[in-house]
Amino acid sequence: MDTEASPFESSEMLATFLTSTPLLSMSWSLCDRANTMPSQGFVAEQMGSVGHLAFSGVQLGSGPDPTSGRNLEPLVTATNGLFFPLEHQFDGEEGGGEEEGKEPVLVHAGFLRIFLSVKSNPNFQNRMLNMIQNSKSIVIAGHGIGGTVAGLCALWLLSYLQSISSNISVLCITFGSPLLGNESLSRAILREGWSGNFCHVVSKHDVFPRLFFAPLAPLNPQLHSLLQFWQLSMTSPPLALLAEKLLDEGKSQIFRTVLASLEGLAKAEQGKNVTCGFWPFGNYFFCSEDGAICNDNATFIVKMMHSLLLNSSPSCSIEDHLKYGYYVEKASLQVLTKTSFPPAELPESSYEAGVALALQSSGIACQDESVARPAKNCLKLARRMGRTPNLNCANLAIKLSKITPYRAEIEWYKATCDQSDAQMGYYDSFKQRGASKRDFKVNMNRYKLARFWDNVINMLDNNDLPRDFHRRAKWVNGSQFYMLLVEPLDIAEYYRTGMHRKKGHYISNGRERRYKIFERWWKERPIKEEEKKTRSTFASSPKTHVFGPEWRKLESG
Amino acid sequence: MAVFRPGESIGFREQVVMKLCSIDMKTHQSAGKLYVCEKIRNSSELVFSFPGSWSVSDWFIRSPFGEVKVDLELFPSLKHIGLNEIATVNEAFLNRFRAILANTQFKKEVRTAVTDGKPVVFTGHSLGGPIAILATIWFLEVYIRPDPNKVAPLCVTFGSPLVGDRIVSHALRRENWSRYFINFVLRYDIVPRVSLTPLSFVEQQLQRILNFFNPRSPFYMQENVGEASGFYVTVMRNALSVVSHAACKIMGSTNLLLDTLSNFVELSPYTPLGTYVFCTGNGKLVAIKNPDAVLQLLFYTSQSNSEAVALNSLKDHLNYKHELQECLKKQSVTCLDDNHLEALPLSNDVTVEINMVLNDLGLSTRARLCLRAAGELEKQKKSNQKAIDIKMEDIERGLGKLQGYKKRCQHKVGYYDAFKLSKDKEDFDANVKRLELAGIWDEIIEMLKRNELPDEFEGRKAWIEIGTRYRRLVEPLDIANYYRHLKNEDTGPYMVRGRPKRYKCTQRWREHAERMSNESLESCFWAEVEELCIKSGNPSIRETILQLKKRVEQQIRNGDLDDDVFLKGSTFDKLLKEHSLTNLDQNDIFRGSWS
Repeated sequence: MDTEASPFESSEMLATFLTSTPLLSMSWSLCDRANTMPSQGFVAEQMGSVGHLAFSGVQLGSGPDPTSGRNLEPLVTATNGLFFPLEHQFDGEEGGGEEEGKEPVLVHAGFLRIFLSVKSNPNFQNRMLNMIQNSKSIVIAGHGIGGTVAGLCALWLLSYLQSISSNISVLCITFGSPLLGNESLSRAILREGWSGNFCHVVSKHDVFPRLFFAPLAPLNPQLHSLLQFWQLSMTSPPLALLAEKLLDEGKSQIFRTVLASLEGLAKAEQGKNVTCGFWPFGNYFFCSEDGAICNDNATFIVKMMHSLLLNSSPSCSIEDHLKYGYYVEKASLQVLTKTSFPPAELPESSYEAGVALALQSSGIACQDESVARPAKNCLKLARRMGRTPNLNCANLAIKLSKITPYRAEIEWYKATCDQSDAQMGYYDSFKQRGASKRDFKVNMNRYKLARFWDNVINMLDNNDLPRDFHRRAKWVNGSQFYMLLVEPLDIAEYYRTGMHRKKGHYISNGRERRYKIFERWWKERPIKEEEKKTRSTFASSPKTHVFGPEWRKLESG
Repeated sequence: MAVFRPGESIGFREQVVMKLCSIDMKTHQSAGKLYVCEKIRNSSELVFSFPGSWSVSDWFIRSPFGEVKVDLELFPSLKHIGLNEIATVNEAFLNRFRAILANTQFKKEVRTAVTDGKPVVFTGHSLGGPIAILATIWFLEVYIRPDPNKVAPLCVTFGSPLVGDRIVSHALRRENWSRYFINFVLRYDIVPRVSLTPLSFVEQQLQRILNFFNPRSPFYMQENVGEASGFYVTVMRNALSVVSHAACKIMGSTNLLLDTLSNFVELSPYTPLGTYVFCTGNGKLVAIKNPDAVLQLLFYTSQSNSEAVALNSLKDHLNYKHELQECLKKQSVTCLDDNHLEALPLSNDVTVEINMVLNDLGLSTRARLCLRAAGELEKQKKSNQKAIDIKMEDIERGLGKLQGYKKRCQHKVGYYDAFKLSKDKEDFDANVKRLELAGIWDEIIEMLKRNELPDEFEGRKAWIEIGTRYRRLVEPLDIANYYRHLKNEDTGPYMVRGRPKRYKCTQRWREHAERMSNESLESCFWAEVEELCIKSGNPSIRETILQLKKRVEQQIRNGDLDDDVFLKGSTFDKLLKEHSLTNLDQNDIFRGSWS
């Protein structure tokens, strides 16, 4: 029951699972086809109940060079609500949230423009509509720049499906794609629970997915020829040879700049934010000749990008971008056999051994200590301590039932105060309480309940709970009931201890954040038809509903 | 790692197994027979051997996996009791078994054997295996469940496909029947693995492969290397999808990608059941009971770098007799139980004794890690169970307190109505106890739901018993609380919308343990009364109330319900009065007993 980390490392097993399915090879072959037909921009195919869609990595005359500069722009203003779930700030922050320096969600302007132009294409709209009608699940793929378009398309589709409450599954697979947006985008995707819908395949040396970690403005001409070389290699290989000549000088410049930037990011202290504008989101599937691993921890991803590039060379890093077909085929054959020999020294602990095997599969040779050690440490850091939001929620429900007796004791306290001869009510009784055992106990219970609910808010802030948690009746009602019953005691305590003289009015200065949040949940709760019926009599709780706010005002007046 | 004589470790005698294997092979020749019944010489067992079938439609009735929910009339135990989920089995196999069951001769022969006290063995090779398994489950349901002292059956299969989903395996373990099933699998034999592949992937090839196995087909043993290798790769690839998905789960992966991917891939529902005995191919046997581990082994023992393995994967299916002869001569069986799994050596270092046999099974380091994870998971479940068992004392204490409360209230109006009014401190204390108990039980239910307890948990008498006592004593308080707060006006009647899972679940435990055909709703008596009170103005309910009263009197006589429901002034008493149904004499008697 305790939230302890699993004694096993499963990044490699997850990669094996994906590789054993036809998804990778199917997606790649569509991407390959899309690349050879750049004029269309995309390829779509329906296979049974699975819809496949792939965007071309070759973009013809699409206005400004997408790699030029680092032009991030806000996703929201440019798109008119297409991506609405990514827009709203999480409701942890009351009215504007003062959390320091939170950027809005930004994406690469050039890629966004390409996506919007594809999306406005009637042919695309028809195919998409068809697919949504005929599919239980949809795979969206793309190579290089096509992958970023696929990413945006998947984000849009997820937003759209959410708005029509459809349960079609979406999976986005990209091959060697550059980064799409900033850390806020990555966080918004996490918050929506969509990180499991994205899998970015990155080969050992490919420089393209690593490109945007570096400041690119000074390298503009070189990048231009690099992009041209890649595009020509996909469409007309003979011309590519010429382009390669043009590129020669630029290769090592690009390589060095990217490596240096990654070095800086990888060496950055944990927690200390060295920003580069762009940030990875979703899962990364690192593949090499020796296997693959799959992980969704952003810090780990950045460090892996660095570690793997250390053993590369300028030309390798550029050619690898064109070798995904080879990697995909190799991986799919490899999983069935027992090719790789275990590392010479295998740790006895299951976890350590799993880490050693995972690194071997990712292509970091274990002998090379200087590279392997940081990568190893990083994989361990990425080890998940928590559980999935749904499991957390279920655990929380158990905890709730365990603290309910405390609430019941306060209810009883209230009932006895109401009925006592003194006719004081529990608010005044509590405010003027003495040192009796009962008063002490009520106060303890008040603390225990506060701790529980603060923990709930805390978990919400950390994205540890399901997205729709604050709309679930159990929690909306539970928190409301708690607030009506206990907040008066908090107010009583506030005035009893003279806090109002130090801090000012309860409502504006002393009210705990949890109550503000619970009040909003209650206001925004979905109301079912049957609830609109009026009750014949009021049960005990709604009485406080009337008095709770009154007290606050009385004291402050 | 101790090496046992086969008989001691997994409960079979080698001569018997040998004999069974020959019978099974022979059975394939007896055309058109549903089954063959034979006695083993110098031994008391009566053997029912089922022939295989060589047509695809006898294996997969439809794409992708052809599974169907079992008929609970036929197999009442094949379900997850707490979660109320019904097991699924392969429909084609189920149909073939039903055809045999429809044959009166079969039932008669079985019955005679049981009356004579003879041990019965069900056995089958290849597609005969699933029939033997279903026949054994049927036998257990019909003969052993009503009378556990009868001679237990034995089921032995050779190269059998998988029959049911994980609920079947769960149910057999819960009933402690799992030990009666022994499945032999030759290291490379492809047939048990085919069950992990969606039919659409192999539809073209499967009939030709079956012809290869069919002694009466012109293609019998006519190998086509190209086809064999294509088939092998497809089957192994799909097997890998199933086992790697399972491995991620048992390793505790929480990555959301895992769930997304399972929406894109058709994963076979079938899992192994009973004990598996893998034959290494060089005369050694490895027995293993953990179903998660067996599933992993189905892939990893057949994983190979050699080209020849594709052909072996077909030939092995026909090789059991020869191979077992070798094995049983050597008498080397290694048992891997959960303790061994958890600490399996990761390297193939031959100086470690157990590696002799693990290497012969071809287990890579990754395979060994998966087996460790399977062992670790089972260990975790056991320790969860221990933690829960400790809480039984808390439950006992809480029940004691509430029992006292109930008793004290019997001098007044009965604990149901006292609690509903909640006037005194005592009522409030009872409410706290009720909530504490609910906390413990909700946790247990949650663990069941997440599969965090051993399969055996729901079969344990102590828990079924305390669950029933808890339900009978505390559910009335939940009902009282429900109607006290008029939750029925918000959400609907208690029975429809308000009844907590902890009561539904413990009720099903008892119903299953006592093989009851009707729902035992005695603990919900008050909910019924409350609903009747609401409709009280309507004279047409008089008859319903009368029925209820009669039933209650019966339940009191059976000891399922206490007679305090009739106490004067209780909600029920008032309802009876209102419809002039009180039986004065009886009421006096009950009152008398408490004064």
